Amino acid sequence: MAVLCTFAATGCRSNRPTADGVPSGGVPRGGELLASVRSEPRSFNRHASRDTTTNLLSNLTQAKLVRINPTTQALEPWLADGWTTADGGRRVTIALKHDVVYSDGHPFTSDDVLFAFEAAYDEQGGSALADSVEAGGKKLQVTATDAHTVVITFPAPFAPGIRILDNLPILPRHKLGGALKAGGIAKAWGLDTPVSEIVGLGPFVMLEYVPGQRVVFARNPRYFGKAPGGGSLPYLDRIVVEIIPDQSAELLRLESGQLDMMTSEIAPEAYAPLKRAADEGRVKLLDLGVSRNADGLWFNLRPGALGQDTRAAWLQRDELRRAISMAVDRKLFADTVFFGAGVPVYGPETPANKIWYWPGLPQTAHDPAAAMQLLASIGLADRDGDGLLEDAQNRPARFTLLTQKGRPNLERGAAVIRDELKKIGLTVDVVALDARAVIDQFLHARYEAIYFNADKTDLDPGTNPDFWFSSGSAHMWNLEEKSPATAWERRIDELMTKQIASADDAERKALYNQVQQIFFEHQPIVYFVAPRIYVAHAVRVTNLTPAEFRPQLLWRPDTVAVGR
Amino acid sequence: MTRYLARRIGFALFLVIAVSSASLVLARLAPGDFVTDTAGIRRQTLEQERARYGLDKSVGAQYLDWLAAVARLDFGYSLQYGRPVRDLIPERAANTAVLACTALAFATLVGLPLGVVTGSRRGGTLPDAIRAVSLLLLSMPPLLTSLFLVFVAARTGWLPMSGMHSATVPAGGALVDLLRHLVVPAAAIGLPLAAMLERLQAQAMSEAVKEPFVIAALARGVPRSRIVWRGALKAALRPIAAVYGLVIGTLLSGSFVVEVITAWPGLGSLMLQALRTRDVFLVAGCAGVGALFLALGTLVSDLALAALDPRARESQAERG
Repeated sequence: MAVLCTFAATGCRSNRPTADGVPSGGVPRGGELLASVRSEPRSFNRHASRDTTTNLLSNLTQAKLVRINPTTQALEPWLADGWTTADGGRRVTIALKHDVVYSDGHPFTSDDVLFAFEAAYDEQGGSALADSVEAGGKKLQVTATDAHTVVITFPAPFAPGIRILDNLPILPRHKLGGALKAGGIAKAWGLDTPVSEIVGLGPFVMLEYVPGQRVVFARNPRYFGKAPGGGSLPYLDRIVVEIIPDQSAELLRLESGQLDMMTSEIAPEAYAPLKRAADEGRVKLLDLGVSRNADGLWFNLRPGALGQDTRAAWLQRDELRRAISMAVDRKLFADTVFFGAGVPVYGPETPANKIWYWPGLPQTAHDPAAAMQLLASIGLADRDGDGLLEDAQNRPARFTLLTQKGRPNLERGAAVIRDELKKIGLTVDVVALDARAVIDQFLHARYEAIYFNADKTDLDPGTNPDFWFSSGSAHMWNLEEKSPATAWERRIDELMTKQIASADDAERKALYNQVQQIFFEHQPIVYFVAPRIYVAHAVRVTNLTPAEFRPQLLWRPDTVAVGR
Repeated sequence: MTRYLARRIGFALFLVIAVSSASLVLARLAPGDFVTDTAGIRRQTLEQERARYGLDKSVGAQYLDWLAAVARLDFGYSLQYGRPVRDLIPERAANTAVLACTALAFATLVGLPLGVVTGSRRGGTLPDAIRAVSLLLLSMPPLLTSLFLVFVAARTGWLPMSGMHSATVPAGGALVDLLRHLVVPAAAIGLPLAAMLERLQAQAMSEAVKEPFVIAALARGVPRSRIVWRGALKAALRPIAAVYGLVIGTLLSGSFVVEVITAWPGLGSLMLQALRTRDVFLVAGCAGVGALFLALGTLVSDLALAALDPRARESQAERG
């Protein structure tokens, strides 16, 4: 049965007053928005890197067929005019908007959509987007029936459907076709490329890039998006993205009116000064609710990863992780790490994921005595009466926890874990390294335990197969397993295979609840607290649609405006 | 003297090669590399990226390739910026030089005269106040000084807090805009430096005014101010000359903390960015230039000392 979903892009946008109370009809036009990032982009090309600054640049200058509205979690057409599905959702025919042109005036056609997929899938090209536009690890088949129609065929039933197209910017074949042929799509549009060469379908064009200082964007006069009243978008004339590596300087600039917004959430320790500034009317502080991601602790569960170390007998046991979950007081954790602005988390989803979070998941009570009993069941006991546990070989029950240096949330969190575990006799040596060093140790499975961010890319679990499947590249506790190492991972593989293929939402939900139950029982990642997300912006910024994840205030840059 | 100069320049070249080599090898050996910036990327994709950037070679092979290229004055490409290192560094070094020269000029113009005032007088409110302020500034770490100044700029709104230029050239023109942006970082570097010069100068001056030639001149009725600002000052400049070159070298190598906090796009912030991203060739280039500035600074110091002190000149000639 074919399901028809036709939306006009403008019809999907909200006419109701926006978060800051400005009705869309009265949105001011023109002006310059001053935003900040903390690091340089790695490229002007999303295929080259998944870093947040490159993502932001892509978000401003490129468009996609569809985009997920993070405030509603619904799929919205962007370059697509609408789509029909057939064959149980396996075949999707997408009608493209007519009369859309790139910022250099070149017309956009279905050939560019084919190019976008070719670029992502090119094995020589090494695109960073390859696995994010696959269904169950397999490529989609994409054909064009005419200049404005593309047909996407999924290799197998895939419930998330074309949501994954939110990951794929449509890039111009007329500019990048040569790079693809030469096998170097990820090399194209590096930071040495003159900005006049960067062509896109997005609301802004790059005007200037000054390394170490800023990227300046100007309104794309050829942008296809329309305001609710029919007027052109974007509202802003310019966006200046300043590169400010130091967060304190970034905050001071925001407070003093030398910055309109940061492109990421504010750190918990910055809440108090910004609240004062908000009370004085200098900035607006928004509470966007609970984060959909929580930092987590996981152990290296790769069989044999610890070599001849006899501690493997208890370091890789489920009981240890469950004991840790019991031993850490989540209230204390929230108070210490997030200054009270966080909610306890017991499983892989936080309450921010309104569709897939399962309130029925058991909640681990803070119970150090029960934790010690669990540890005793795996041979950890205080054998010499010094208050610390030893294993069966009389070696101290001690392990090293890696975390990222320079991220106060992670460093504070690791310290709380260390202190809480000391109370049940476990000794934790916290080692803070820079992000690349942590990731390197993680990728090479050269660690005992890590406390880090294990963010999922989308709210729909079906779009995170790399996390869930044992063969996945983001299966944090044991990357890219050749076959499931444990029976419970095999069971999760089976359940997720069904979950991804099912077209029945209720069945998908039930299957995912089972996955969450198994996850809870084995705790491959122990989650403690999800923080609340706060963002701040200058009072003159209006017509925002704030979302919980980055870039919270600029995910829809075409409709942002500034007052005079 | 020529032999002495040739030997010092030779040493400077050796220092540059040694420092950049060590930086490249250490940056390469540190855990993580340019492509490991995100967890969750397929191993195959990572390997492709490594091959793309030449990171799949062994450290030794990469070092030898780099050394061969350096012999042709090719310092490699920045992995992040995709541009030759020899193009990137002069741009940033120029920005650092603007900041360093401004800070140094400020420190010299303020620190030296104040040092003469405090060193040539035995007591009094003014010398005591200057001494107290100097000690306060000297005891504050650059991080705190920078943050304090940025805070003042934020609260008053008189000056831009960070960056080198405004995105849009304001009414006063680009030069005025640059000068306004310079105030906070130059003061953050210049104030502690002025305090250091003041203390050094005061110490040297207090000893110089006790020299027999000063006492003799005073006995002959030469005005004290003339003796202090001409005769004694020249004698008291020796310790300043000894550190001046080193200060220049250090400043030109880039001030990490100040450049990062005030987002000044200089050599220090470039080096930090290169280290963070494991941009190995850029790390080597920045470290090499830093070493070059330090070596040149030391040389300038020695030459200045020789110009001021005949004993130092003779000693250098003997060593040459």
